[in-house]
Amino acid sequence: MNSPEARTLESATAAFVSFTPQGTMTPVNAGSVPDNKTRRYDRQLRLWAASGQNALESARVLVISGSATSTSILKNLVLPGIGHFTILDAEKVTPEDAGNNFFLHQSSIGKSRAEEAVKYLAELNDSVESVADTSTLANIILKDPTYLASFTLVIAHNMSTLDLVPLSTLLWENAHNKPNPSPPLIVIRSAGFLAEFAVQFHEHTIIDSHTEALPSLRIDKPFPDLETHALALEFENMDLTDHGHVPYVVILVRALHEWKQKHDGSPPKTYAEKKEFKSQLTNMKKKIDEENFDEAVAQAYRAWTATSVPREIEALFSDPACTNVTSESTPFFLLLHALSHYTRRTGLLPLSSTLPDMKSDTTSYIHLQNLYKTRAREELEDFAKVVSGVLDEVNAPQELRTTVEGLIDEFVRNAHGLKVMRGRRWGDDDDGALLAAIASYPAHVATHLALSALYSFEKSQGRYPTIGSADDLGAMTAWVRERLGKAGWVEEPDPEPQNAGIEVDAEDEEDEDAPEPEPTFWKRVQNALGEVARAPTSDLPTTAAFLGGLVAQEAIKLVTKQYVPLEGVCVVDLVASTTGVITV
Amino acid sequence: MAEVVAPNQPSGDWQGKYYHVDQVLETPGPRTSDAFAAGDQVKGFLRNQSKILVIGAGGLGCEILANLALMGFKDIHVIDMDTIDISNLNRQFLFRPKDVGKPKATVAAEFVMQRVPGVTVTPYYGKIQDKDDDYYMQFNIVVCGLDSVEARRWINATLVNLVDESNPDSLKPLIDGGTEGFKGQARVIFPGVTSCYECSLDMLNKPVAFPICTIANTPRLPEHCIEWASVLEWPRVHGSKKLDTDDPEHITWLYNIASTRAQEFKIEGVTWALTQGVVKNIIPAIASTNAIIAASCCNEAFKLATQCAPYLNNYFMFIGTEGIYSYTFEHQRRPECPVCGGETIDVQIGKEWTLEKLMEWLLEKQDIQIKKPSLSTDGKPLYYQGPPQLEEATRPNLEKLLSDLVPNEGEISVTSTSLPFTLTLRVTYT
Repeated sequence: MNSPEARTLESATAAFVSFTPQGTMTPVNAGSVPDNKTRRYDRQLRLWAASGQNALESARVLVISGSATSTSILKNLVLPGIGHFTILDAEKVTPEDAGNNFFLHQSSIGKSRAEEAVKYLAELNDSVESVADTSTLANIILKDPTYLASFTLVIAHNMSTLDLVPLSTLLWENAHNKPNPSPPLIVIRSAGFLAEFAVQFHEHTIIDSHTEALPSLRIDKPFPDLETHALALEFENMDLTDHGHVPYVVILVRALHEWKQKHDGSPPKTYAEKKEFKSQLTNMKKKIDEENFDEAVAQAYRAWTATSVPREIEALFSDPACTNVTSESTPFFLLLHALSHYTRRTGLLPLSSTLPDMKSDTTSYIHLQNLYKTRAREELEDFAKVVSGVLDEVNAPQELRTTVEGLIDEFVRNAHGLKVMRGRRWGDDDDGALLAAIASYPAHVATHLALSALYSFEKSQGRYPTIGSADDLGAMTAWVRERLGKAGWVEEPDPEPQNAGIEVDAEDEEDEDAPEPEPTFWKRVQNALGEVARAPTSDLPTTAAFLGGLVAQEAIKLVTKQYVPLEGVCVVDLVASTTGVITV
Repeated sequence: MAEVVAPNQPSGDWQGKYYHVDQVLETPGPRTSDAFAAGDQVKGFLRNQSKILVIGAGGLGCEILANLALMGFKDIHVIDMDTIDISNLNRQFLFRPKDVGKPKATVAAEFVMQRVPGVTVTPYYGKIQDKDDDYYMQFNIVVCGLDSVEARRWINATLVNLVDESNPDSLKPLIDGGTEGFKGQARVIFPGVTSCYECSLDMLNKPVAFPICTIANTPRLPEHCIEWASVLEWPRVHGSKKLDTDDPEHITWLYNIASTRAQEFKIEGVTWALTQGVVKNIIPAIASTNAIIAASCCNEAFKLATQCAPYLNNYFMFIGTEGIYSYTFEHQRRPECPVCGGETIDVQIGKEWTLEKLMEWLLEKQDIQIKKPSLSTDGKPLYYQGPPQLEEATRPNLEKLLSDLVPNEGEISVTSTSLPFTLTLRVTYT
């Protein structure tokens, strides 16, 4: 991800801006020594840039309970500079709490857990605002239903089912409230070495997904100035130095043009033709060691890869939020709507101005780069007109118009990696999805069911299982059996020794060389239930820290709207040292 | 404050302190091996006998120290040669602005001891190379949170060499973590038994290196202009004065030179931050990824020390950029690994190869990764990087045919400051 090819000139230059004391950022002279705040955040600004940092600093997170897992998550959000966090916790610090939580101290015992945890977390970053709230959730929701809507994200660790159900329902149902929609919710459950978490959200759109896919260079559909340039070069009359420095992009455009003339306008199609095309490139060499021609051969696939609107982007155009835009639409969907109009006319995404590095001399490379930049600017202006038309059509108010227009650059630069995610409501598993997940990821589903059994037990008994209790393990086991029976799961027979390994193909992450036969699904369930029964109320510091990192990464991705967040349930098994994602 | 310390508790402990950890130490789980001695025995070993070394007190090291202390390791040592910089504060959570400039190992150790009563963290502010075999022999487990390939190779080779088959205590499990942005990995190495760090060198991203001729003659990227300023212009203008990449004035000088060159060639995009990033080879780093990888390392250390659950065999890879992806697998040993394979490397060489060509080939090789190698055969120098008289005396050999210097199936010894062992090549001419 750090290769010079992947880095664009734009991101290299646009990533760095400075901060004003108010916390908003304005581009400054890129040549000055950065101020203290920029220096402090340098290693993360190189990932999510000023736009991500601004989003993070505007975010307000509510974390319910001051458990070790909760403070581990918060630590990883306070350090990078989240705007605000509240810990909601009515409990007092117990001796047990002070033993597994780095953000409590022996001297915290007996004091408010919210206040103590906030005190030790706030030390990490002076620019973060923090609140310790010692009320109970039930009281808060009763007193002020709008309280939750003041947050960007709510995080709940090992919350009692009786509290979680109304909380998740409230957040889900009020997610479209105007003017204060309810935020997404992350639900985390852990016991000993096992854990899982999921994000409840309706919709998440991403402009900058940081995709590793590269935008097309349009070798197969060269824009006029690129084609003219490629056809004007006189390879035959060049001296050896110039010939060895023609950028491979130009070589490919030229070679493809000549190929098409001899092949009824078609690019190389069959394996034999592709091979022939490559050998023609090699034959163009004047000297054996011309690296630019070697690059052309290595990149030859670009000549027969048709540039079109990527299927994943095309699919977004039929999303109802994209087809029906109004002045209430989000900037993302207004831009996406405009993009669907634009591509219907052109058949192509607007050109990205980024050109990877390639063997060339400075003049040829910069000339080529300018051709791309000029064309990209023209297409951007063209797209901006379409956007303007869309904004007129929906009668967009001035504020929305300004926001949308300010995003056009970034939108076009990342058009090949746009994402729309539709999330799910937190709650019970779907039978069909559960069966499908068992077939694909039996180990992860087993962990998920064991943790579901733990919280089903907690809900029905009003207490957690007693550590090591066989009766309580029996009750949880019975619950899983019943749940599986309801889903229509049929227990498979114990595998015959000679059959061992045949079923393994269905799983994509087991070690095929393992001499041990794969455990049956029921055995996996028993393994997971056994772990839960062994440590039903253990918030193990290493598991807490592991979750702290995972959940904070997801929170950052959700808040910054950069990178791609989790889709489904993330399952963690630190006995096996694995993670997995299942959709149930 | 509540007085909760019971009279029979060891210093710094209190009733209930280990409530969460003890749940997994008091009973085995379904996948726990028979070697697990549940209850007081395993707790006693973990808390009174085990001794663990943490290498690095930076992004991973801070997390590792805090985790180990909470898990019940009480005798922890930490080595780090760095001092605290302001850019560490976005993730190295044991440090505060007032600590900038102080040694990381010392500040981290004090912080953990203050926050977690009863734990002893012994810091060493210096290099891992300062310590000898006896020092490393005293530990049960070594956990590494380093950002340097060179230091990892050194500790890996040192622990492999420490193995004495007649002494089981000489086998020191090495747990190694590393991160970059949203990605990272954790692994467990049993020196001489499992794949070692050197076995997997070819998995590293090839370091970005720009050819000198591009930098000097055909710059295209802002990076090329920055390299020109730091590699060619700095020594030309400043002579023997060393470039200090931590000195903002030096970076500003490079930035100005690079900008001028970029303007001359009409190249856009040279910024101060990019200049700093290129010359310091900055790798993006965030607290959350470090937390995941450090937790994974400490989880394995805890499982190794207690046997309460099977440990990782042997590699955990994590990618958080697109959803959550991880892959747990067994990385295989490389039989020809120069550290744990103990074999000489056979190389087929064209008859027309000069010694210089062999040197270039060595520098390119991804599974060796060497800088400035010195070569000798049969105890005689072929080419030495120093001292200057020897370099000068051996320089004429560079142009000679290798077959005139080394017989067929002859052996060449390769040494380098970047290589913590002597590499032996056996050459065959084709």
